[in-house]
Amino acid sequence: MPLPLSYSLRNLQARPGRSVMTACIIALVVVACALLLGLISSLKQTFVRSGNPMNLVVMRKGSDNDGASQLAVQAFQAIRFFDGIARDAADQPLVSPELVVQPFFRTRGGGRENVLVRGVEPVALAVHEQVRITQGRMFTPSAHEAVVGRAVLGRYAGAELGNELEFGRGRWKVVGILEAGGASFESEVWVDVRELANDAKRPYPYSGIRLRVATPADFEPLQRRIGDDPRYALEALRETDYYAKQAKSANALYVLVVGIAVLAGIGAGFGASNTMYAAVQARTAEIGTLRALGFSRGAILSAFEIEAVALSLVGFLLGAVAALALSRLLEWWLGSLAFGASTFTTNVITLHLSSADLAGACGLALTIGIGGGLGPAWRAARLRPIEALRKA
Amino acid sequence: MKYLGLVFANLRRSKLRSAMTGAAIMLAVLLVCLLLTMPAGLDALLDNLASNTRISVHNKAGIVYSMPQSFVRKVRQVDGVAAAAAITWFGGAYEEAGRVTFPNFAVEVEHVGAVYPDYPISAEHLADFKRYRDGALVGRQIMRKYRWKIGDRVTLRSTVWPVNLDVRIVGEIADDHSPYLWMSTEYVDQALKAQGREGLGIANVVWARASDPSRVNAIMRAVDELSRNSEAETACETEKSFFSNMFGSLQSFVTIILIVTALVSLCIVFIAANTASMAVRERAGEIAVLKAIGFGRRVIFATLLAETLLLSALAGGAGVLLAVALTRALRMFSGWSEALGPLAVFIITGPVIVQGIVLSLCVGMLAGVVPAYGAARKSVAETLHEIF
Repeated sequence: MPLPLSYSLRNLQARPGRSVMTACIIALVVVACALLLGLISSLKQTFVRSGNPMNLVVMRKGSDNDGASQLAVQAFQAIRFFDGIARDAADQPLVSPELVVQPFFRTRGGGRENVLVRGVEPVALAVHEQVRITQGRMFTPSAHEAVVGRAVLGRYAGAELGNELEFGRGRWKVVGILEAGGASFESEVWVDVRELANDAKRPYPYSGIRLRVATPADFEPLQRRIGDDPRYALEALRETDYYAKQAKSANALYVLVVGIAVLAGIGAGFGASNTMYAAVQARTAEIGTLRALGFSRGAILSAFEIEAVALSLVGFLLGAVAALALSRLLEWWLGSLAFGASTFTTNVITLHLSSADLAGACGLALTIGIGGGLGPAWRAARLRPIEALRKA
Repeated sequence: MKYLGLVFANLRRSKLRSAMTGAAIMLAVLLVCLLLTMPAGLDALLDNLASNTRISVHNKAGIVYSMPQSFVRKVRQVDGVAAAAAITWFGGAYEEAGRVTFPNFAVEVEHVGAVYPDYPISAEHLADFKRYRDGALVGRQIMRKYRWKIGDRVTLRSTVWPVNLDVRIVGEIADDHSPYLWMSTEYVDQALKAQGREGLGIANVVWARASDPSRVNAIMRAVDELSRNSEAETACETEKSFFSNMFGSLQSFVTIILIVTALVSLCIVFIAANTASMAVRERAGEIAVLKAIGFGRRVIFATLLAETLLLSALAGGAGVLLAVALTRALRMFSGWSEALGPLAVFIITGPVIVQGIVLSLCVGMLAGVVPAYGAARKSVAETLHEIF
């Protein structure tokens, strides 16, 4: 027969100071881990959200990002009329030629960052479905106008609606703000592709093409046709795969999380263990009595394990609340966080703790509780009733 | 001092508890030291490596805007310039990795040695770099990561230029701050021309070394003046300013690392304080007896505090030592990371060691002082009454 649940829970209340202290130890580890997990998932999300499942990215063979690729006008003219490409209401193919350049921008704080400037044609808004101009309007070609991403707004000198941005060889009037549901496009500035090619003095006007396929069945024939064309040496990647590759830059951060989870987790496990050992020692006589009354070893073991797990859950709850509060505080304090991306540009992200991050932290807390409680629970279960009672 | 025996005996009383608390402190101090190597790596780069005589000359609009390769010759003629070398991003992906896993550049072989006299490159390696057209100099960290040896040949597939190049490793840059590969500009140029293309032609940065630190500002002005109204107007800056701009956006990430470090530190204080309070509670009777037979409050307080302090100092010291050993091992596996840049070099510096030791002493003090004070203050009669 198992011991009632309330036995374990009441025991936690018996020494409130010590229980709170142990819960705090676990909570601190939870906060540290949740914070970093949130950072990684926020970084990954910006890339994951950028990929449209119906889009293809066309780049020069061997380029690993469109900032390093270049492509001739003839290639664009040829690909535009390939079969299997979606068309808009006016029967124009949804093919967006784009040029990516990474000029310096002055930050408000006086520093300098590389920002991804994407030269596009108006069709880009139809190809990148998730991108919307939420304030102002799209730029007018040849008028030296720019549309800036939500995350860029206010980060750089002049990055405000109606102001002038200075980058490349000239000044650009900000006429609109684009949002893309947290995608990396929000860290970009969009201008007219011809003006940008002129400004950057590129021999090739485009760095790549983004296009929408008509049906999922068109992916493979199109990819093959573009890849096999001997004239241009191009390759076509699904946009989701392209951004999944970019998201790999976040993987270096996982090493950090694992390091913290393992080292701080073991440390906190020892801390929890100490508390539980003390609890077992203080209740030796009580355990002897329970055994004499006929409770099995398994019942004692599980009662102490439940106590440890309950403690770690309390720790997790404390930690989760603190982590959420801290992430809000950091957002207010630091604003958005900037990360380098493989395109040599700055990716601006907002720290956001997802439920998956909290679940990860919860898993860690439970591991600490179960692991830390195992030794003491085992010792309690192995006590011999007669010797335990004699100590009373 | 004469109470040291008592302190040690008390620590040995509950061996398991002392061992677990010690282990927890050790692991946490280790973690704190590892985390602190990240901001320390950035500081070290800015303070020690960036020379005050080297100048970066690049296009005003950005490094990717490039400038004509020939501009380097004009820079060399500027008064006070001891040496200058043009550097172009090659963006080669090592075939086994499939993507750019370390920065690699085409450099002017004849001049690069004179621009970086402070770099640990042996004269013999530098001579071989000049001798072999396909030679490459590689940072020590990358050599270790890929288990390359001098004399190995590796293929780099450029993600920028339409060429794959076979380079021969002829030497290493023997420090942990240089995770990149240099190859010859001429070699890349010829490979491009062999394919009927225009050749390299452009440079991303021209690094110039001033003969004297006092002439740096004059040189920067003169170079910018030379390029005025040209296709590629330049903006000069010192090497230090170049790197701090390049990695300036990492500052907010460093803040998060420091917050995590603070959380872990607070965590050890709780662990140690928990242990100390348990020890004091269990020994309440004994402490009362000690007082009853004439031991002063100060002695009680000091021995109890010393117990926590000793444990955390020993454990913290072990943690610091472990951190030194572990960073050595980590450097074997770590390489260049585009997300972390100089944060992931894992170089343990003097300040990191000092901070680790100070942290362990602070933990001991903070954790020990409340329980020890409580035990020392409690009246004898009250305690004995509670016990019996």
